[in-house]
Amino acid sequence: MKKTVGVIFGGRTTEHDVSIITAHIPIIQALEASGQFDPWPIYITKSGLWYCDQAMNKLEFFKNPDYPAVLAKQKPVQLSLGDGLTLSWPGLRSKSLKLDVVFPSMHGTYGEDGTLMGLLRLAGVPYVGCDLESSAIAMDKVLTKQVTEPLGIPSVPYVWFTASDWPTQRADILARITKRLQYPLFVKPVHLGSSIAITKVGSPKELENAIEVALHYDDKVIVEQSVEDLIEVTLPIMGNDELTLALVEQPVAKFFDFEEKYLKGGGKKSSGANSEYSHLPAQISDKLTARVNELGRAAYRSIGASGTARLDFLIDSKTNQVYLNEINTLPGSLYHHNWQAAGISGVDLVTKLVALAEERFRDTEAKTYTFNSEILKVVGGPKLG
Amino acid sequence: MNAWLSRYRPRYLRSLTYMLQATEYDIGDYVEWYGRTRDFSRVEQRKSLVKTPKALVVLALAWVIELGLLALAVGLVWTDNVPFCRVLALAVVIVAPFATGYLLVVPLLVVRFLIQQPLEWLITRKSRKILMQHPGLKIAVAGSFGKTSMREILRIVLAEGKRVAAPPHSYNTPLGISRFIRGLSGEEEVLIFELGEYYPGDVRKLCQLVNPQVGIITGVNEAHLGKFKSLDRTAATIFELADWIGGGPIYVNGESDLARKSARPGHLIYDRDGAGDWQVKNASTGLEGTKFTLTHGKEHLSISSHLLGLHQIGPLAAAAAVASSLGLTDRQIEAGLNAVTPFEHRMQPRTDSTGVTTLDDSYNGNPDGARAVISFLGEIQDHRRFYVTPGLVEMGKRSAQVHREIGRELARAGIERVVLIRDSATPFIAEALEAAHFKGEIMWYDDGPAAFAALPHLTVAGDVVLLQNDWPDQYS
Repeated sequence: MKKTVGVIFGGRTTEHDVSIITAHIPIIQALEASGQFDPWPIYITKSGLWYCDQAMNKLEFFKNPDYPAVLAKQKPVQLSLGDGLTLSWPGLRSKSLKLDVVFPSMHGTYGEDGTLMGLLRLAGVPYVGCDLESSAIAMDKVLTKQVTEPLGIPSVPYVWFTASDWPTQRADILARITKRLQYPLFVKPVHLGSSIAITKVGSPKELENAIEVALHYDDKVIVEQSVEDLIEVTLPIMGNDELTLALVEQPVAKFFDFEEKYLKGGGKKSSGANSEYSHLPAQISDKLTARVNELGRAAYRSIGASGTARLDFLIDSKTNQVYLNEINTLPGSLYHHNWQAAGISGVDLVTKLVALAEERFRDTEAKTYTFNSEILKVVGGPKLG
Repeated sequence: MNAWLSRYRPRYLRSLTYMLQATEYDIGDYVEWYGRTRDFSRVEQRKSLVKTPKALVVLALAWVIELGLLALAVGLVWTDNVPFCRVLALAVVIVAPFATGYLLVVPLLVVRFLIQQPLEWLITRKSRKILMQHPGLKIAVAGSFGKTSMREILRIVLAEGKRVAAPPHSYNTPLGISRFIRGLSGEEEVLIFELGEYYPGDVRKLCQLVNPQVGIITGVNEAHLGKFKSLDRTAATIFELADWIGGGPIYVNGESDLARKSARPGHLIYDRDGAGDWQVKNASTGLEGTKFTLTHGKEHLSISSHLLGLHQIGPLAAAAAVASSLGLTDRQIEAGLNAVTPFEHRMQPRTDSTGVTTLDDSYNGNPDGARAVISFLGEIQDHRRFYVTPGLVEMGKRSAQVHREIGRELARAGIERVVLIRDSATPFIAEALEAAHFKGEIMWYDDGPAAFAALPHLTVAGDVVLLQNDWPDQYS
């Protein structure tokens, strides 16, 4: 009997389309290839409607520019929470399907920030990848630094502020940046992934415009000091308690931007994330590789990650200092090209991730969350609590 | 029900036309396919209809027949609207698609006997005349398998010292060869022909056209057994080449049991140990190619071939022997043998950006070829090996035996993963694997496209994937 796996993707996020790619390459394709799973694509439109139709298991469905119109003719799927997660299709030929596992594939807002994980936790269904807390921490680049730095994981110098701070404290913020950081700088929205709205700033006159761009996408902005003699590397990790590390990978471009990652795939249309933009493994010394692996494990554990995550590091090639840049709890296309080079096929990857989800779910279920109390009997009395 | 209704879809007639095209308008194959097929909605799986003028005419004929039958039904009601006529008209409507499926072959048969065959006779007669006056040496290659590879090896090796011409692709029918003959300049010194065989007498007919002076028989096995009915008939048909040449030089592949047993005194046997005076020593093979030393008297030729597998050594040695007999120098022979590269879809290696090596052997659909490549896979160390196959076609009554043997060979070679396409042949492979306590994994897919889509997600850097044979749609 094949396990039913709901793959949730799309959503109200700037990374909507990337999410569709990750859902298919490799998740749905590998689930199908395994022969062990029955994947059910659960697509959330940009306006927030949920649809589920196995015709969407093919990426070609979304290559049709009229796919929103095709979906509009269908009835959205309904969710029942409680004893797991059940999908229901209303109408004369109504039917329902209980999912054994959910595989979130929603990048960015609502998906990668812990929102979806909260829903799935409430539903009581095993789900793949990081949980609510670690997702929320990793989604916030400032919070990530605030959690990891005290544990000895270095970060580059930075300043952060919110959208509400900016109009009222603009001069103070600019002064703080000038005082603490040296140009060039990177200005980033705190919560967005896939390198969207990140600007490299070489002088003060470019700074305010870059901040305005970042604030257009997010209500919290981080300004970081650039590492100029930079080697940028990234490390996918998988596991709950026992961790498996993929290869340390080095992008060829100066920094990962959206286009580099997803669009410059050349003729390799089916590979999902661009697999030609990096050195795999990274062209760094064994000592640096070991340092990245060590910090990767520490950072992964520090935020309580589980399932999988990708950790990005900045290396100053002059000093060999390694800094944690950010943690991505849903790597684009699961970085399956890296896992494949490390000896783990797409099928092995998704199979292992599903097993990790079930393992964590069993552990969670074994915990006690409720107890019998007498509190209701005494409520209304003279003193409560 | 859906399968039954598939005959009433507009695409049905296109599917019939496609299948006639896929079977090369072989009425027997088409009728056999039509009688076997239940669901016509999934006919064009691997390829689709190529809109050639011939195909468009056939499609138009199909519509004429179908619409004619429907018009007949309307006419029945129109002329006499009594219950009997209405029932009869309904019956015609229901039967129309079935009748069209069979009636379509009638005009094709008429065209074949009244136009095509006389035309072919005229064309081949003219070609035979051209060839009779051509001064070049004619070499013919016949066999159940390995013909195209042998032809290409000869073409490349002999070209080191002679002006050589050979038909392109798999032109091995009278019309295909005639087309090639019309393009000859007359200055070629050697002509190499591949003789195709489907029915008894085919090789003899081609010999009448080509009039070969040198023959090479690459092997006899179960290929097209469905048409030949018995291996004896297959062997007799292929050895029609030897009959034609008589006392001239005939090279026979000794690694094919049936060919070796059919060889006659005076025939030159070639195999991985050599051919005639040419002896093979120190042979080794791997993903990088095949190396061996070819000795001839006191001469030692160092061969580093790009072809994969020890079974390739025999044809290379045979080419050396033929080249030597035509006066090529040892250095020319060595250069020629080293210049041979894998042929399209025949043990053709390709390593992609993910580090996975695919060996495309999709044009190899015969038991000897399968045995040879499994043996080659068995030689490869330190790689995870995948063997992907839908099985072999046209094995007739020997299908179970042939596929069980493939299963046993795979188990012996210790292949890590066997990927099987669900059809009538592959269960025998799985059965033999299980009986042999196969330690690897068997993976099943419903069709070829599903298996090919899955492979990138099953493999990792360093894996070797062998694609063995491809089932055309008419066998699905």
